[in-house]
Parts: sequence; C-alpha cells; structure tokens
Amino acid sequence: MKQYVTLTIDGAHVRAVKGTSVLDAAIEFGICIPHLCHVPNLSDIGACRLCIVEHIKDGKSKVTTSCTLHVQDGMVIRSNSEKIKKLRRNIAELLVAQAPNSRAIQDIAVRCGVKEVRYPFRNSDCVLCGQCVRVCTEMWGARALGFVGRGKDRHVDFPLGVREEFCKHCGSCNLLCPMTITPCKGPMKRGEEYLCGKCESQLMITENRPDSCVWCELGKNFQCARYSQS
Amino acid sequence: MPKLKTAPDLELFRAELHQERARFPVTITICGGTGCQASQSKYVFQALKQELGAHGLDKRVWVRRSGCHGFCEQGPLMVIEPSNIFYCHITPDDVPDIVQQTMRNNVIIEKLLYTDPISGKKIQTEAEIPFYRSQDRLLLSQNRLVDPCSIDDFIAVGGYSAISKVLATMKPEKIIETIKESGLRGRGGGGFPTGQKWAECRAALGDEKYVICNADEGDPGAYMDRSILEGNPHLVLEGMLIGAFAIGAEYGYIYVRREYPLAVEHARTALKQAREYGLLGEHILGSPFSFDVEIARGGGAFVCGESTALMASLEGKVGEPRPKDVHTVEEGLWNKPTTLNNVETWANVPFIINNGSAWFAAKGTRNSKGTKIIALTGHIRNTGLVEVALGTSLNTVIYDIGGGPANGKAIKAVQTGGPSGGCLPVSKFDLPIDFDALYEAGSMVGSGGMVVMDESTCMVDVAKYFLQFLQDESCGKCVPCRLGIDRMLEIITDITEGRGKREHIALLQDLADTVQQTSLCGLGKTAPNPVLSTLRYFPEEYEAHVIQKRCPAKVCKPLITFAIDVEKCSGCGRCFAACPHGAISGEKKQAHVINPQSCNKCGICAEECKFQAITIN
Repeated sequence: MKQYVTLTIDGAHVRAVKGTSVLDAAIEFGICIPHLCHVPNLSDIGACRLCIVEHIKDGKSKVTTSCTLHVQDGMVIRSNSEKIKKLRRNIAELLVAQAPNSRAIQDIAVRCGVKEVRYPFRNSDCVLCGQCVRVCTEMWGARALGFVGRGKDRHVDFPLGVREEFCKHCGSCNLLCPMTITPCKGPMKRGEEYLCGKCESQLMITENRPDSCVWCELGKNFQCARYSQS
Repeated sequence: MPKLKTAPDLELFRAELHQERARFPVTITICGGTGCQASQSKYVFQALKQELGAHGLDKRVWVRRSGCHGFCEQGPLMVIEPSNIFYCHITPDDVPDIVQQTMRNNVIIEKLLYTDPISGKKIQTEAEIPFYRSQDRLLLSQNRLVDPCSIDDFIAVGGYSAISKVLATMKPEKIIETIKESGLRGRGGGGFPTGQKWAECRAALGDEKYVICNADEGDPGAYMDRSILEGNPHLVLEGMLIGAFAIGAEYGYIYVRREYPLAVEHARTALKQAREYGLLGEHILGSPFSFDVEIARGGGAFVCGESTALMASLEGKVGEPRPKDVHTVEEGLWNKPTTLNNVETWANVPFIINNGSAWFAAKGTRNSKGTKIIALTGHIRNTGLVEVALGTSLNTVIYDIGGGPANGKAIKAVQTGGPSGGCLPVSKFDLPIDFDALYEAGSMVGSGGMVVMDESTCMVDVAKYFLQFLQDESCGKCVPCRLGIDRMLEIITDITEGRGKREHIALLQDLADTVQQTSLCGLGKTAPNPVLSTLRYFPEEYEAHVIQKRCPAKVCKPLITFAIDVEKCSGCGRCFAACPHGAISGEKKQAHVINPQSCNKCGICAEECKFQAITIN
C-alpha cells in the first residue's frame, strides 16, 4: 500500500508518495523546477544542480538538489526564492557558456533568467549530464558508456575508447542527449556563439501565469518530465 | 605470544613488560618518521645498535625507533632518557661520539644540541626548546615513547587499557554519552560532533554496521594523519575498537593513501600484532564483542577524502561523492550504517575514555574541545608538526612555536585548513584556533594545515595556486565545481596576466558564492574559500592587478619588468653570465641593460647581483 506524506512547496500543500523525490512531487503537482540531468525512472545523481531548492528546517535554509531529496512529512521547500533564482541563473550561465550550441541548454538558460553571459563561450559538445551513461547502464544494462577521467578531463566514452559489441546501437543515448538539438538558427560556429534567447517570447506566457503548466514547446526540448511521462 | 583472553591477562602482561623494561636504565629514541627517514635516520639507528653492541652497552640501553616527533626540519632527532638530552641533525658518523662521550662519560656533545635561532643559545632538553615549550602534546606525546611496530611498547605506555575498561564496565550508550560530553568534534575538516555521529549511527536500523578510519590525507603540505598512523597505529586501532563497540559494528576499514607507504606498512604490522594478541578478532578480551579491520589503499585522489567518495572507492567504484541527503550514518558503505572518522578523531577516543570527558573538555574553547595537530609550514623559522590546545591564538602558533618570519620579511597572511581553507591577514592573528571562530573569519581549522606567507607572496597568485590544485582534484561530477572552479581560475589567470577588468572582481565574488552554496560535496562547497577570503582581506591586491596592472608583491610575471639601475651597476658581468635567456648585454665595467623582449623574468639576475642593481617594477 502506498504511503503518503504532505509537504509544502512554494506555499502549496503537496501530497506525495513516500519515497519519491521532491522534484518528482513538484512536477507531478505542476510546479516546474528546472532540471537537466534528471530523467524519469533513472537514478538521480544531482550533477547539474539546476533543480536546487531551499529546504527550510528548524528555521535554517539549506540549499540542496530536489532530485536527490526525498519527500518527508511536513517538509517546507522553496523552489523559486530570490536566492535560488540567482544561484540557478548562475549555474545555467555556466552551462550555456560551456555549450551554447544546444537548444536544450539555451532554453534552460532563458528559463532560468540568464540575460547575459559573462564568460567567454566554449562551444563544448557535452555538458556531462550523464543521461546517456545512466540510460545505458540502468535501463538496458549494457554499460557501453561510462565517464572517463577526472575534473576537467572528465568525458563520456566507451570502455577503453572502443565501441564494443555490448553496445546494441539502441540509440537511447542519442535520444536523451540534450546536445542533439541545435538552436533555431542552426549550429553556431566556433567563436561566434551567442545567447540565443529566442524562446523568451514563449516563456512570457508561463511567467505571467505561474503554477500553470501550458505544455509549452519549451518543455519538450527541455525534456520536461511531463512530456516524457505522457 | 599466547592470546590475551581477559582484561586481567592484559594487566598482567603490562606488569611483565614494565618489569622487563626496568632492567634498562637508559633509553635512546631515534625518530623514524618519514621526515627523519628521509634524512637517513635508519643508518643512525643501525650504527647506534652496532656501536652499543661493541661497547657492551646493549644490555643497559634500550634503543627505540619511534614515530614522528614533529620537529622534522631538525631531523634526524634523538632523545636520550632519563636525562632527556635532545640531539638533532645526527649523522651515522656522530654515533661513536655519542656512545663514547654521552653514554660512557656523561658528557653532552654541544654541536649536536639544538641552537635557538633567536638567542643563539644551545638548548639541552626537548622541553626547553621554544618549538615544544608552547605546545600541548596529547596525541603526539606517545609518538616518542612508542615504536610503531611494537605492540608491547604501546601496551607498556598504557595502551589498550581504554578498550579493556570499555568492555568490562561500559555500555555502548555510556560511551556515546561520554564522547558527547567531551565535546569532541571531527578533526578531518568538517568539525561535526563525533558523539552525535556515533549516536545517529547506533540508532540507525541495520544489523550490519561499519566503522572507517579516514587516512586519505591529501592537503598539500599536511601530514598530521600520516604521523599518527605511522607513529602510533595502535592508538588509532584502539579508538576504532571503542567506536565499533559503541555503534555496534563488527568490521572496520582503514582507508589510507598509497603515497603513505610507511603508514600502510605500520598499520599492517599493527593489525597483525593485534590479531596475534587477541585484541582484534573474535571475543576480544573474553567479551562477546568481535571486531576486525582491513586496510584499503587509496589511489591518491584528493576527493576520496570526502566521506561518500571514500566509501564509493572502498566499494570498488569510481571515487565520486554522492548527494548526502541521506546521511552515511544511515546509508554509508554498501548502504549500511557507517561511521567514518578521521585518524586524529579516532586517536582522541582512548584518551577520553581513560581520563573522562570532563578532563578532555577542560581544554579548548566553548565549542571546540581538546587539542589539534597542525602542520606548520611556509615562511617561518620552525616548520613541523605542532599540537596545541584548541583556542590557542594564531599568534602563538606562528610567532612562539613557529619562531616568526624566516628571512626577515614581515609575515603577511596565514592560510589555514588546506586548499579548502582561507587566507587570514595579520590583523586576524589574535583569533583562536577554534572551529567556529575561524569559520566566521572565512577560513577553517580544516584538517590542520597551516601555511604562513610573508610579504613576498602575492595573494592573487596564492588563490590561483589553490584553484589550480582544486581544478585538478575536482571529480567533475557536478556543474558548479567542475565549471565554476574552471571559470574562477580562468578569471584569476586573466587578472594575474594583466587582462583583468573591473567587473571581474564582482563576477568572481558572485561565482564563488554560487559554487560555495550549490556544489555537491565538501570539496566544491569549500573550493571558493581561497578566493573569497583573499577577496575579503586583500581587495587592494586584486585592485592593483586589475586597475593599475601591477603586482604589489612582484610575483605575477606578466605584470613585472626587470631593469638594471645604472647608478648601482658596477658592470661586473655576473648577471650577464648567469642569464639563461641571453637577455642581458653590456661591456665590462659599464652598466648592463636587460632586453625586455628576451627576458623571461626568472629572477636569476636579481639573485646573482651583489649590488642590488636589478630593479623589479
């Protein structure tokens, strides 16, 4: 039998199944917490840090990722405070400066309120969200992909750099990869990257009507959990 | 050696040891720590054994090779008891003299005594040396009395009496209560109350629990944990035994880095001996309590000092941290409740049990009790391993124990707590070494590294150094740590190379705040500390770099130029000969000039010049 707990997210009383994450509970309820590395039904690793929320406990606020935080009865969560918005914007800025050539990342940047990018663009091919690695390992048990290296050298690769037989060419990694969709105007050249901001017009709709999901096109590219669940 | 089956067995054995040792009126201790080993203490030891044998003194003099004494730069060290004569910088050639004069004729050899650099006087005993005088040695006190490879030595100084007491008279709850009352806080960096951690782990559901000793010490220049594990491994083991009994664990691990071969070897020997004596294994000292320990060697990743990364590494996975929304005391190693403590924390436990929590809590400040070992390095006279009561001021450590600046230049700052700590200026030197006081000042006690810097240090360059270290050591899993540190380093590199802009300082502050608040693990959360603390205490240095494009300490190469003062140059040609880049030209007896195009700013000319004619702008 399912056990339920009630928690407060941004002032709304949310009833959620015990054992689920705060992020899942929020999305289920229609509170969109931006996220990148979270994929429904795969384990959460808390790598992108976009889904950070404030967990208010004993009067103290603790910043943590909502995907790794389990719901508890009476929990108080703030997903959209000024502090969180600022931190999330800074993280999104780091991401978009690293990989401007992805519509998903550009969308996230706009959603998180990035108005300017204060770092030189880098045009990297991967933001190490690890969706491909986890889907390959956890969903298919193939383990054909993994993280290699540490820190700046960390990248996704086949074991020993060779595509082995145990990769079944299922394409799940490609399907999930946020880097596969280029911005509306096509791929950006190296040295000519910019903050696209094209999706801002669509964003306005949701900003004016908070708490109401309009099933925006944005969500699709953003891999909003609602789309993947439907 | 038959197993010690009961507590009286242990006491009987201890009494026998005392009797046996009493037959040796003189004890010579030679430091065999890594530092002294590097200065050939092994050969001194061998020579001494041989020489004593030749003089027929080997039945009277007990020779011991001990762990680190702390005063590493004076090594190899020798202490002759009971007169407590302290010799330093000994070579094997000195050994015949020592035996002939000191041992036979009771004459002290002046040239082997320590010279106080301030008064120039020769000092005879360890206790009188300023470096030792201001210390409060608890954990390190036994290092001198114990051969790390001899369990007998440890038992002779009262070892394993705490676990014997615990097993005979204390309930686990009582132990936890004692540790709580003592106010012991984690010595690895976080400063989490140890008693609370144990209580939570004991209360956690699960029949299988683990204890782990974290000896993955990776801070540059710090070696507190190494010295304890290497110098007195049984003390750590006894602490782990008590902890395991308190939380209900039957198995433990010592996670030690591969770069500490001596610590690994000594810990291995200690485990073997403890098993032989029945102090590890089934039914320890006749009680129902069983416990064993395994040594795991880490590959040397800094991030594996973080508890969850360490546990992942122990499980055979990639050493990466995981979110700690569920604490390791509930789901740690193999998802079982796990108590992980630092070497120094474990080493404190037997003392607390033996002497009581009130005795321990008498030392220190309101929220930081006991003593702390500090690895003191940098631009000071006396470097080495220092143990002081918490609450001792930075001034005492740096000036009284450290002996002040080494080369006449004024001290400017101290970096406490390793790469994750912060830089504190001289104006903060009256702060006590206290977990909360240093945290509020933007630094931390951390694991206990302390790097003293004088005015020849550029604080922006220091921040850059630590960022480089952390960028290399970040696991790369989460965005703020991987990209944030990378970008901070990018900005700081721009600043030190003269490309800094005014807005960079605000951006650096903003980014550092974000990394601090949003990173996944302790490494990322504390990584911006060097940047934040230097921004807070030395903003003028950043401004000089950014606005005037000038490095006040004359360290950042792109911002300095070398020139020759025509007035002072005698035309001796030393700089001309020394310059490896052929950048200096000039006739003999006439002023030389530096060609800025070929000058590499290595500074060799300035070192060579006898007339201080090289100016750096």
